[in-house]
Amino acid sequence: MNAFFGIAGLVAAVIPALGQPAGSRNPYLRVVTTTTDLADIAGQVGGVRVTVRHISQGYQDPHFVEAKPSFVLDLRRADLFAYVGLDLEIGWMSLLLDGARNPRINRGGRGHVDVSAVIPVLDVPAGAVDRSQGDIHPLGNPHYWLDPENGKRIARLFRDKLTELDPAGAAEYAANIRAFEEKLDGAARDWSGHLARIRGAPVVAWHTSWRYFAQYTGMNLVGFIEPKPGVPPSPSHLAGLILTMQRTGAKTIIMEPFYNRKTADFVASKTGARVLVLPSSVGGRPGATDYLALMRYNIGQVAAAVVP
Amino acid sequence: MRTLLSAVMLALAGAATTPLPAQNPDSLRRARADSIRLVREIEAMTRRDTSAQAPAPPRTGPVNPRLLPDISAVGDFVVDLSPKGSTQENASRLGVREVEVQLIAAVDPYFRGELLTAWSDAEGATLEQAILTATALPWGLQARLGRLPLPFGKQNILHREALHTIEFPYVIQRFLSEEGLKVNGVVLSGIWSPFGFYQEVQATVADRFGEASEDLVAETTPSRQLHGLGYGIRLRSYWDLTLNANLELSGSAVTGLREQPLAVPVDQITAVLLRQTVAGVDVTYRWRPLQEGLYRSFLLQAEVMRQFNQRNVPANYAGPTRHFTGAFVLARYQLSRRGYAAARYDWLQDPEAGGADLHAGTLQYQFYPSEFSKLVAAVEQRGWRGSGGTTRILLQAVFAIGPHRPHPF
Repeated sequence: MNAFFGIAGLVAAVIPALGQPAGSRNPYLRVVTTTTDLADIAGQVGGVRVTVRHISQGYQDPHFVEAKPSFVLDLRRADLFAYVGLDLEIGWMSLLLDGARNPRINRGGRGHVDVSAVIPVLDVPAGAVDRSQGDIHPLGNPHYWLDPENGKRIARLFRDKLTELDPAGAAEYAANIRAFEEKLDGAARDWSGHLARIRGAPVVAWHTSWRYFAQYTGMNLVGFIEPKPGVPPSPSHLAGLILTMQRTGAKTIIMEPFYNRKTADFVASKTGARVLVLPSSVGGRPGATDYLALMRYNIGQVAAAVVP
Repeated sequence: MRTLLSAVMLALAGAATTPLPAQNPDSLRRARADSIRLVREIEAMTRRDTSAQAPAPPRTGPVNPRLLPDISAVGDFVVDLSPKGSTQENASRLGVREVEVQLIAAVDPYFRGELLTAWSDAEGATLEQAILTATALPWGLQARLGRLPLPFGKQNILHREALHTIEFPYVIQRFLSEEGLKVNGVVLSGIWSPFGFYQEVQATVADRFGEASEDLVAETTPSRQLHGLGYGIRLRSYWDLTLNANLELSGSAVTGLREQPLAVPVDQITAVLLRQTVAGVDVTYRWRPLQEGLYRSFLLQAEVMRQFNQRNVPANYAGPTRHFTGAFVLARYQLSRRGYAAARYDWLQDPEAGGADLHAGTLQYQFYPSEFSKLVAAVEQRGWRGSGGTTRILLQAVFAIGPHRPHPF
């Protein structure tokens, strides 16, 4: 018993020394993002003046991330925390922020960045919403990074935020974003032929995550494998979807790598469609190593698939 | 009984799969009618989508202008189909075990407030939690004040309806509390990583260690003197083994004065205050492949606890005079996107049975229609050494409405 109190006393004595003030000695701004896409864009804008970590992986469903304590260690030292918002990370982000106890990146802190604040949001529900509509996002569709125009908006937000936190780097951030936008514009010219082929092509997607991509490319989303966001399909829904595909001539089904493709393969077998497993985030497949590569790959794949 | 259970399991299994219906003429007609209806719905949706193509401009106003707290509720229903009668506290076959209502909001830039009240058939209305969390302390410290779960082991910190099993393991029920031990007190915690991995210390000071039964009345309350308060400590260590697997190893201890029964009451005094200490070790291994994480995961968890009771006791004493040990092992495997199979084995030197060994094995199937609801079917076989075993059959339905805060990792 005495040993127990001895240990307890020792622990109590060292507690004040536990919290290390998050290292102001580090010359770099420490950026942590929830997704790989935000991490890549932050890194391209921040250049050598920032270190960037991300929480979810590109091949992982960002709705369902485990709030591992190891992420808390990254967040504890972060100067800037950027997240997709629109409730994409609602199931796990608050645990990590609470655990990190870092006032710089908590809500209200200078380093707390809700990226969705600069995005023109799609699919904002009108009227009352409730869970009978599935795993609906009441603030709108959060998968906005799949539109390169939004990629530019994200980059501008990072430029402004990094400049605010690190004014000495303003010129560097401005130069970096110019380079990023030029690369993106150049790539857009390269894939304009692909966009011409995609425009108007009927396509079925698994989840509503491709709405922004569809807006950018002009592809026509005629249906979803999921009857409602986050709800697995019923047999009757699939039967209806098959009829829709036959009626519209949709020959392409796109889905993310973290879904089980058995259902999509079944629908494809009934319609003669092709299933495209496309990464929805940077790192979602080998080769999608950065934001430009991600967009280039997805646009190229869809263009190739929709050509009759 | 077996028929009923089979029917329930078949219904759950049937709902978990999504094959197309059998191809007989009736089902084809129904499917075609459904399809036509769905096509019309999709067409309507497409029309709505087209009209909604113009995106909403970036937000400029607040999302919650009236500063309302997040309000959520959880319902927990239990059906007891045990062949020898209900094993529930109030002997009910079908009961509302608990309904919880929770309010959470930031109080100001320095504190967050959390209130949780519960209603149950057995206990009526109770205050489950009332917690003020200091979020802006220096050195990365965090303080939580109020009525809160004692940080001890992995399961005691969870709400009962959030457990991977229908009830708490027996070692927690006997050594801490049947519904998990809540205390009125302060928890101070700090995080650090001197060895490159996550470690956290949680130190607790509570008004008392556990609750006394109403018929135990001591001369004074345990908290009359400082040494009678409840003191707890927990040290967590966490490692990422790979991107897909991790391990947590933690130790916990709590001590305090507790009312223990006298053999013969003296002037309406029925109890004496004696020190009791519980120490434990818990280990949790988790595997969840990131890419297939919607469909596959595995958890293996074990806790071992030892209860230390004071041995120099008064002559007129009828409480425990020996130490007790107990443990459980829990395994849970995800079979599909919505289905999980779990098994738990409990062993305990049961203080309520004079230290007789209690063994219990539980098998269960969990079905999640969505993130916000859960259906569980469980079969448990338990028994004390030297006595016959008992079979328990339990069904549980849990639902959550409103913005429910995520459960601790």
